[in-house]
Amino acid sequence: MAKTLMRFTGVGGQGVLLAGEIFAAAKIKTGGFGLKTATYTSQVRGGPTVVDIQLDDKEIYYPYANDGEVNFMLSVADVSYQSFKNGVKLGGTIVVEPNLVHPTEEDRKKWNIVEIPIITIAKEEVGNVITQSVVALAIANTFMDAIDKETLINTMLSKVPAKVHAINLTAYELGEKYAKEAMK
Amino acid sequence: MSELREVISTGNELSAIAAVDAGCTFFGGYPLTPSSEIMHVCSDLLPKVGGASIQMEDEIAGICCVIGASMSGVRALTATSGPGVSLKAENLGLAQMAEVPMVLVNVMRGGPSTGLPTRVSQGDIKQASNPSHGDYRSITLCAGNLAECYTEVVRAFNLADRFMQPVIVLTDETLGHMHGKAMLPTQEDVAAGIVLRKKFEGAPEDYRPYECGPTEPAVLNPMFEGYRYHFTGLHHDAMGFPTEEIETCRKLIQRLEDKVMAHQDEIELNEEFMMDDLNGEEGEVLIIAYGSVSLAAKEAIRHLRADGIKAGLFRPITIWPSPAKRIKEVTSVTKNVLCVELNIRQYTEEIERASGRLDLEGLYKVNGRAISPYEIVEKVKEVF
Repeated sequence: MAKTLMRFTGVGGQGVLLAGEIFAAAKIKTGGFGLKTATYTSQVRGGPTVVDIQLDDKEIYYPYANDGEVNFMLSVADVSYQSFKNGVKLGGTIVVEPNLVHPTEEDRKKWNIVEIPIITIAKEEVGNVITQSVVALAIANTFMDAIDKETLINTMLSKVPAKVHAINLTAYELGEKYAKEAMK
Repeated sequence: MSELREVISTGNELSAIAAVDAGCTFFGGYPLTPSSEIMHVCSDLLPKVGGASIQMEDEIAGICCVIGASMSGVRALTATSGPGVSLKAENLGLAQMAEVPMVLVNVMRGGPSTGLPTRVSQGDIKQASNPSHGDYRSITLCAGNLAECYTEVVRAFNLADRFMQPVIVLTDETLGHMHGKAMLPTQEDVAAGIVLRKKFEGAPEDYRPYECGPTEPAVLNPMFEGYRYHFTGLHHDAMGFPTEEIETCRKLIQRLEDKVMAHQDEIELNEEFMMDDLNGEEGEVLIIAYGSVSLAAKEAIRHLRADGIKAGLFRPITIWPSPAKRIKEVTSVTKNVLCVELNIRQYTEEIERASGRLDLEGLYKVNGRAISPYEIVEKVKEVF
């Protein structure tokens, strides 16, 4: 597999970090290399946050995604969408939460912009907004086909408390369903 | 090489786990971004092994209680970032003078002053060499990847006990927070490598903690075990009592210098990456970098070699005392040398001193952002 570069962006406190850790750990479990780095501002709650995820079969040295090389980005906050969109390769996919992120017409020409109401799905369909990072995880993996689904789900379950396993599984299935619909 | 184990973690977590595996049973400190997770993990792990972790009222109290813990005979750790080191400086000097072993992990962030709390920097390189006033030799190790956030902390504890002084481990925001795979020595191998500080076993009335060979450290027995000595930051005699006696004062400070410099072979550690085929041919490039910047340098070397440019990396892991002789040797072979740092020439000046060369090229960045592999590639193509 070629190197996969994914970028999750939001604002501090939204929980975008967890999905990155799960991807990296799952890739390592399959014998490859995975790295997650997060960049945030002093304003921990509410400041723009970006998580870069690199998955590769050979050793990864530099832990950040180089601008212009990101294959896939997911954004749930406009401030971080605007700050970090230019890291995405021309023609790359950007999934946005349409209630919170507002891409320009120009953006839609440059990238494959996909609107999925991630937070609404977590809040209303799963019933817990915290599961948005697992909805995001499922969307990213469905688009990128980065990790075998079972490995990814098992890694995810190992990182969340047992009492929320069921809702996180629901969140994953819903994320996958919406991603597949959007890909049609 | 013995067996390694795979651990998925962050640099900060690994530094804390390393301390516990190295037999540290005390953490004292104050939370400071981007180092706080070291304290969090110590607070979780140390009580489980019969140790203690305490958040003090400020940075100064944090290092003071570490000095106290160490004087009672245990391995003790503190962690902070540059602003915290500034506050701890006076007591680092006290620990140098009184010869109290401890480990300080500095997860570097932008400075001076409070700087850029959540951003990466290597601005504390010079500070690490002399955080406090006076003559002494700092031992400073600099982790360059996730695994070294663990192995260098383990090594720091052994060096602290061997040389009876603080040992600083520099990491940085990038390493501290990046999350990935590290191949680590097993806990059994780490435990087998522990060499604790020397203890005087003779009669208590014969105990002279600071009476030692000219290149040897003091022998401080744990307090409260019947071996009495005086503890001070003043120049002191064999029993630790203040003195102004000319020869005693001279010998003491000379010994603080010589106990480190006469044994540099026990301290020095470097990585030479893809340097094997550098032999002085036209167009070759030697990059000198350390810490997280070396990760970008390695990636850059992959790209440069793919473009037909022979490039290699020299990376000091022990940065103070600097590997001056080896720097001299490697910079004598290759004409084109590029120093890459997240500061303005802080280590380049040491490389100039060691190499005797003033024609080194440099790439420096001080805006809190990492140097990317492409910036290094571009710089190499631009200047050589």
